[in-house]
Amino acid sequence: MIARKDKGRTVIVGLDGVPYGVIKHLTDTGLMKNLVHIIEGGVFRQMGSSIPEISSIAWSSIITGKNPGEHGIYGFMDLTPGTYRLFFPNFFNLKSSPFWNIENNKRSIIINVPSTYPARELNGVLISGFVALNINKAVYPPELVPKLMEMDYQIDVDSNKAHKSMDFFLKDLDKTLKSRIKAYRYLWDSQEEWDTFMLVFTGTDRLFHFLWNAYENTTHKYHEIVLDHFRQIDMAIGEILDRMDDNDTLVLLSDHGFEALDVEVNINYYLKENGFLALKDGKEDNFKNIDSSTKAFALDPSRVYVNLQGKYPAGSVKPEDKGRVIEDLISLFESLQIDHRKVIKTIFRSQEIYHGPYFDQAPDLVLLSNKGLNLRANIKAKNLFDKGVFTGKHSQENAFLIVKGRENDDIVPDMPTVADIVTIKDKLNLKRS
Amino acid sequence: MEQIKLHNSDLTCWNCPAIDLAGKVDFRACGQSTTELAKLSDDSETYIMAECHRRPELGLFDPMGITFEECPEWRRTPYGYMLKDMRVMILGIDGYLGWTLALWLGKLGCNVNGVDNFSRRDWLKERGAHTVVPISRMTERLSTAKEILDININFRQLDILDDRERLKEFIDEVKPEAVVHYGECPSAPYSMIDVEHAIGVQKNNVLGTLGVLFSMRNIVPETSLIKLGTMGEYGTPLTGRPLFEGMFPADAVLKWDNREWSLGGELTPRDPVSFYHVSKVQDTYNIVEACKYWWLRSYDVMQGVIYGVYTDQVSADPRLRTRLDIDEWFGTVINRFVAQAVIGLPLTLYGAGEQIRGFIALEDAMQCMARLIASPPEPGQYAVVNQMSGYYSLREVAETVAKIGRSEFNLPVKIQRLENPRVESERHPFEPIYENLPKRYGFKPRVTLEQEIYRMLELLTQPEIKKRMEEKRHHIVPKTWWSGEKRLVETIEILESGSQSTMEEEKSATYRR
Repeated sequence: MIARKDKGRTVIVGLDGVPYGVIKHLTDTGLMKNLVHIIEGGVFRQMGSSIPEISSIAWSSIITGKNPGEHGIYGFMDLTPGTYRLFFPNFFNLKSSPFWNIENNKRSIIINVPSTYPARELNGVLISGFVALNINKAVYPPELVPKLMEMDYQIDVDSNKAHKSMDFFLKDLDKTLKSRIKAYRYLWDSQEEWDTFMLVFTGTDRLFHFLWNAYENTTHKYHEIVLDHFRQIDMAIGEILDRMDDNDTLVLLSDHGFEALDVEVNINYYLKENGFLALKDGKEDNFKNIDSSTKAFALDPSRVYVNLQGKYPAGSVKPEDKGRVIEDLISLFESLQIDHRKVIKTIFRSQEIYHGPYFDQAPDLVLLSNKGLNLRANIKAKNLFDKGVFTGKHSQENAFLIVKGRENDDIVPDMPTVADIVTIKDKLNLKRS
Repeated sequence: MEQIKLHNSDLTCWNCPAIDLAGKVDFRACGQSTTELAKLSDDSETYIMAECHRRPELGLFDPMGITFEECPEWRRTPYGYMLKDMRVMILGIDGYLGWTLALWLGKLGCNVNGVDNFSRRDWLKERGAHTVVPISRMTERLSTAKEILDININFRQLDILDDRERLKEFIDEVKPEAVVHYGECPSAPYSMIDVEHAIGVQKNNVLGTLGVLFSMRNIVPETSLIKLGTMGEYGTPLTGRPLFEGMFPADAVLKWDNREWSLGGELTPRDPVSFYHVSKVQDTYNIVEACKYWWLRSYDVMQGVIYGVYTDQVSADPRLRTRLDIDEWFGTVINRFVAQAVIGLPLTLYGAGEQIRGFIALEDAMQCMARLIASPPEPGQYAVVNQMSGYYSLREVAETVAKIGRSEFNLPVKIQRLENPRVESERHPFEPIYENLPKRYGFKPRVTLEQEIYRMLELLTQPEIKKRMEEKRHHIVPKTWWSGEKRLVETIEILESGSQSTMEEEKSATYRR
């Protein structure tokens, strides 16, 4: 039998929310030294995220190779079918198998992939990523929990701290990163042979939400701290590279891009203002209280649903009128402007972007905004436009993908998307065998 | 046909003890936090996420999203939606209320667990008194509950103060979804006997409860604590200020020096009337703080003076009866009056006999407890109910017992006024507010004072019980003085039926509403 090492293994490192441009910039300036070498001898492409560009959807597509119509994850929150009740889809709601369950004869070590909570059995090890609130349910096999606790493993930075003090938050962010590195080293050294090792750094995304401005502005108080976070990740990648064998392949990627956030746009407020959405008088502003005069409502960040009769408890739009309501909604959102600038860049109809057995759960429309405008579906919003505490937002078109080894150029599409990763991984396996 | 709404139909998982508050998530920042879990944020886009022990398939979910009415784990009962096989732990399960509630909840389908160290039995023995309604040993109680009512009760003999580790193990084993805390010494006179008794009562009650709070924090922080307080915590303020339910209402105002402050939500002043009552007040503060520091949730049940012997369950078999004490230390006033009526002792009013108290019959108290168990408070909520179904002067109560005793049981009942061994107002205004239970929890008293007195007379006139009362008749008239004196109180006056001096009539009339 050929040892796994001899056959070559795949190592996937994810940098949540890191855009192509940031990698380009930080390698051009030489800050991410190890990445400079990998890019020089490999394939470096801009990658399209999921639609909408949300981590839970994007990572679900990355690990399954499927679109939401197939894997069933359309966002961080969804409505329980037949109700207006919010629920938060988890790993059990993922309807397609992640690659590690398909290749069950192969052993996988999976660390901190978002939307893999609660941890499920696999041939290997899995430590869930965001949203993962209880470490005892976030680790497979559970016997690893005490070891992780011993090394002070932290699933994610405590975002609450950022609202108290940025220093407090950054300290926690650093602690989280260091504990993640400790955990990967432990698993790399202690686990039996594996075929795939996947590690995701999520602090990058959290950092950009709060401090994108500090990244862009070189005179910002926290600019150096932001850069140092990337320096540490680059060192970790360098270390991983040193541990890898010549036959192993490294894939680096992000799930979506990032850009400066100028204004939040509350699309449910816009729907209310234009008579498409109404909530019951005297009741709390909550999806549960959607009135039967409602024609459409939205879920975060930019998913628009027709309030269809028979589908929702207060559904009012007859199936035969659905097409007309969709056309009205498209006109409505096309006309939305801020300072004489169009807010919406693209409006996708569900059939243009989704297909598969869970298509019936898809939103009817998904909106993509123009630069700097962050679409939100907060049903309690009191204004059309808001400015919050966040300085960065996700972007759809500019995630990145790096595959080590120039010889792999032919297996990476020119314009890859997050749903291509499993295929790329399979082709890498095939090439090695 | 649409079902009638129950009082707790619209409560959500936010109130449910079967959930763990797992964390807070802000999807805008892809951020999660596992600190300050129960603190509701002003920020409408921060979601508190829960996980359900009973329905793990729900994963992480918004605890505000599912109502009791919608959740299949909550089922309709006459007292509101209740969790299926709800795990309830009763501290003090061997007592007058504890045993009665155990059977009541068992019949409702709860999974009943309880602890007791039998100290109530010991205290009576120490005073040379006994329960006049004979009660079985715990082993027989448990087997009879199974035999007659098909109720399984999981019992552990332990002291909540001295056996704290074992209590923790038991809580950890049962993981109760409600803890009913009856495990205290309930007697004012007992706490006034001497320094040892005062210290004993306060230690048992205050420190025992404090330990329970810590154990709950560590093991079952989502479980509601239903703790027995007493209307006696409030005292009887001579200003006539209403006795609100624990806290001042939202529109209460303090005026001083031409300035005004809102008092809404602040604890009302307490004016305890014995070292026992002080222990209950101290409990109140400890529980308030525990709710504040650790987001525990609790009902403090300010119970009026309890009386009665009847529920369907305790009356189902003589071996299932709950205790009934009539002695000066543990006999509550109506229970004592009925006993006196049966054995031919004049009913004993202390001082003027115009003291006014809130009352509740045993059966109604059980109904209230079931309703509260079914409606857990929110995380961090310290809530208070004044649990009573009416209020009367002691003299009115004595007259009622005398009337029923004479007319229905042919007993030659007399009423006497004794020196008052207590330090208390004998004439005072009294305006209790007791709206929470009827308005928020659907409580409707089922038993009238007259009905329950009749039932008590029926039971206590049975020869065996009458004999047991006769044996201990010398323990009814008090010898325990708040001043520390040790002598039998003397009779001031024997009252003829319906008699009252003109002066007293006028005084009391000014205080009645």
